[in-house]
This record gives sequence, structure tokens and C-alpha cells, in this order.
Amino acid sequence: MTKVVIIDADGGICSRVIGPTGAEHRRLANRVMEEALEQANLSFEEISYLVATGYGRINVPFADQQITELTCHARGVVSLFPTVRIAIDIGGQDAKGLKIHNGKLVDFVMNDKCAAGTGRFLEVITEALGIRVEELGSISSKSTNKVEISNTCTVFAQLEVISRLSEGLPLADIVAGLHDAIASRIAGMVRRLKVEPDVVVTGGVAKNMGVVNALRENLGCEVFVPEEPLLTGAMGAALLGKELTLQALAKGEPIQRKERRLEEVTFFNTRS
Amino acid sequence: MAWFMGVDIGSGTSKGVITKDGKPLAYHWLPSGFNYKMVAQKLGDELLAKLGLSPQDIAYTIATGYGAGSVPFSSQQVVDIRCCARGISSISPSVRTVIDVQGMSTQVIRLSDEGQVTNFIVSERCAAGSGRFLNIIANVLRMELKDIGPLSLKSKNPVIFTTGCAVFGESEAISRVSENAAKEDILAGVHKALADKISALIDRVGLEEQCAITGGGGLNVGLIKSLEGNLGIKLLVPPQPQFVTALGAAIMAEEHFAG
Repeated sequence: MTKVVIIDADGGICSRVIGPTGAEHRRLANRVMEEALEQANLSFEEISYLVATGYGRINVPFADQQITELTCHARGVVSLFPTVRIAIDIGGQDAKGLKIHNGKLVDFVMNDKCAAGTGRFLEVITEALGIRVEELGSISSKSTNKVEISNTCTVFAQLEVISRLSEGLPLADIVAGLHDAIASRIAGMVRRLKVEPDVVVTGGVAKNMGVVNALRENLGCEVFVPEEPLLTGAMGAALLGKELTLQALAKGEPIQRKERRLEEVTFFNTRS
Repeated sequence: MAWFMGVDIGSGTSKGVITKDGKPLAYHWLPSGFNYKMVAQKLGDELLAKLGLSPQDIAYTIATGYGAGSVPFSSQQVVDIRCCARGISSISPSVRTVIDVQGMSTQVIRLSDEGQVTNFIVSERCAAGSGRFLNIIANVLRMELKDIGPLSLKSKNPVIFTTGCAVFGESEAISRVSENAAKEDILAGVHKALADKISALIDRVGLEEQCAITGGGGLNVGLIKSLEGNLGIKLLVPPQPQFVTALGAAIMAEEHFAG
């Protein structure tokens, strides 16, 4: 997904849009940007500073600066939860744990090597079950006796789930088992940071209350979820952009800006 | 007259061998499906039918593999590492290292001069470290498993896979297909990725020649060439590599029966 957040000089949100990134990828940032400008009723010229972040941040040719998702993410979470110590972000491609001290990122752990422990785990398995990821949370809430999933590997867990279903075990109990599997994998990763409250979880998977509850159980502490858990990275990028601009203004330094022209990225080629 | 049976119930396929006087007389395999008990029974029946035998003709049966516990007619269960080792040394006593590439994991077994298991390592159950990865990519390319090895050898410009995960690897393969990468180049990349994982496993137990490859991976010339490139040696590929563990089980059944 490609997300855009536009804020004003006081940090108030003028618009926020979540659009597809899709397979054609990386080329759609301009369209999501257009939509966000429209929603805010702003012209592109009126944007003082634009920060791109995330996995595809180099593919936003009209950004004034690229900042890593870790930095932006930490900033975004701190703006919503000033007392956060551990931020967990679970996306479809990877999962990250951030350790934050006094609002600053001090350490992180990450898994982008194995689909287990990322949102992809649930995507792959729900596909085989013919249900949508959005339904998982409410399905697992009906579980009374969660089924333990013994395979870590997503591919084999999928086969295991089909096999358990064919044995007649209830879907709710199986889905609860899946939530526990992903939560225990993520908890195992995040424990390397020494977990301290407050813990905040973001990313698409944070919308799944089943996983959030399983994380609470696995970590043994309260886990907070922002009202819109997909937008913290973009929110952080906007806040960092605002801060850079205000600092430059205060020092009377010029602001380095790109030409305000919305275009899709053309230089991108994955084959080298 | 006594015949012996070895049954290897794997995660993907189930294999059976009947031996007599240490020689394999019949081989048979079936997809394992979800009901191991059922497939074991069917495998046993069809294997007997190949030689016109009845269950009473089998003096001793050893079951092995992932579903070894689901073989109702087995006399004994033996862990697949020992069966694989016994099978390969019955074929070639000079083998000191076996790479057994299965559907769910890969194991590397070290053997003594007497054919005893001295050390082994089993990969995590990870699709990217097992034959499953090849199935997944074959599906993406809409090809049959048996065709992907030979085609991969035609590659001049192998695609480099950046991930060690079969799920992410599948997405990468789909992206490369949409960019019109040649099938052979994608396949060469996948074989190399699997060979790299297996080579890392071999490093941990050490390599001593002669080195053999068994399991379904032994049927794939692309994987064999890629491993040979990594290891800098020639691999021994036994006839019917996917049956080596079942064969070992049958031979161990004979030896057990003889006392």
C-alpha cells in the first residue's frame, strides 16, 4: 500500500490517503499523491516539504528527501504515543521491532527473510481457506480451543491447516492457532530488544484483533494500537518534513526542494 | 522363500520397495495426500500386486519417513536417516556423505567406512530449503517438476533470488515473469538458491567424498549441477534416488529378520 499524509504547520492532519502499491508497483505514488492533494484542497505547489519513506521510497521522484522507514515510523508512533518504548510494525513484506528511548529510536530488529512472522503468513493461508484477512479477527474471537500449528514455514503451515480442517476441527480454533503462531514468532523476535511498556503495534496486521490479543498474551503486557495503524510511517515522514522546514526557516537557511511536478517513476528497472 | 518390504511415507510422496536377498525386486510410489494410513495400505497392496505376492509372503516390514507411524502392517519403525544411510551403502559402499533432498526438509548424513551414521544435520522444515521450493516455482511457470531441471541448464543469465523464503521467492518469480525474464533463467536462479541453502547445511557437517544425492532432489539435474558447482565435486546419483530410503528400510528388514 502507498500512504500519504499531509499536515499543516501545527501538525494537524489535512488529508490522509491509503492507496494500492500493486504489482506495477512503485509507479502509483503520483496518483495517491494527487488524491491526497485533492482531499486537502491544496495544489502541489503549496506543499512546503515532501518526505518519502518505506520500502519504495526511492521511487518517489518528486520527494524532497528520502528518510528510512525506521526513523519515520518511530517519529509517527511517538507522536501518537509519547511514552512508547517498543513499536512493532507488522506488514505484508516484513515485521520490525523498534526500541524507542525518550522519543528516539535506539535499536531495532527486523524480519524480511521469512514470510512466517509477517502479514504474508496470514495472506497465504487465508487464500487457501477462501476467506479474507479482514475476517480473521472476528472468526478467531469465536474460538474456544485454539489449535496449535506445529509448522513454522508458511508453506507447510498452509498444508497443516488444510489437513486440520479436513479432520473437522473448527475454523475459529484453527484461525486462533494461526494468530498465536504469528504472534509467538514476532514476540520471539521483539524479545531481543528487551520488551518494556508501552508497546504499540502498527501495520496492516494490527487491524486484526486476534493477532493483537495473541501478542498481548505472548508478550505478557498491554499492547496499544493506533486508530489508523497503517499511517504511522507516513505520519512520521510528514512530521519530520515539518521539523526540517521549520528548522531551516529558523536558521534562515534555504530549503532544498524538488520541482513540484507529479510524475511516475521511469528510471526503475529491477533487472540489472 | 522370504521377501521384505521397506515403506517410506514422506510428506509429499510415499515410496515402497520389496527386496529379496538384498536386491530390490519392485518399486512403487504414490502421492501421500492427507491420509497416511490409507496411502500406506494402498502402497503396500499395489507393491505386492506387482510381484503377485500376498501379505503373508513378506517376512518383515520396516516403515520410515514422516508418516512412519501410520503404516498399519509394519513390523518396526526406523528413523529415515538410518534407512537412507543403509540404502546408499547397499548401492555404493564408498559413499561417505549423503545429501537427502526431501519435500519438507533436506538432511545431510555423514557415514563411516563401515556405513554407520557418524553425524547428520536436518534443515528446519523450510520450503526454501527443500524440494518444495522447486514445486512452487514450477507451478508459477506452469511447468512439470520433471522438466525444470533440464531447462534450467540452458540458462545464460540466471536470475538472482534475493530472498531465502519460498513464499517471497514465489513473488519474486512472478515479478520476473512479468518482466519477461526467460523461464530457464528463473529456474537456474531457483536451483542456485536451493543449492546455496543446501551447501550451507553441508558446511556444518563437513563434506567427504564420495558424496551422493538422494530423495526427489536426486531426480533434478539442475539442482545436481548447481550443487556440483558450489561444492566443486561430482555427485554420485544412484539409480532411483527417491527410493533409496525405502530400499534401505527393506534391507534393514532383511538384516533384522536374519538376526
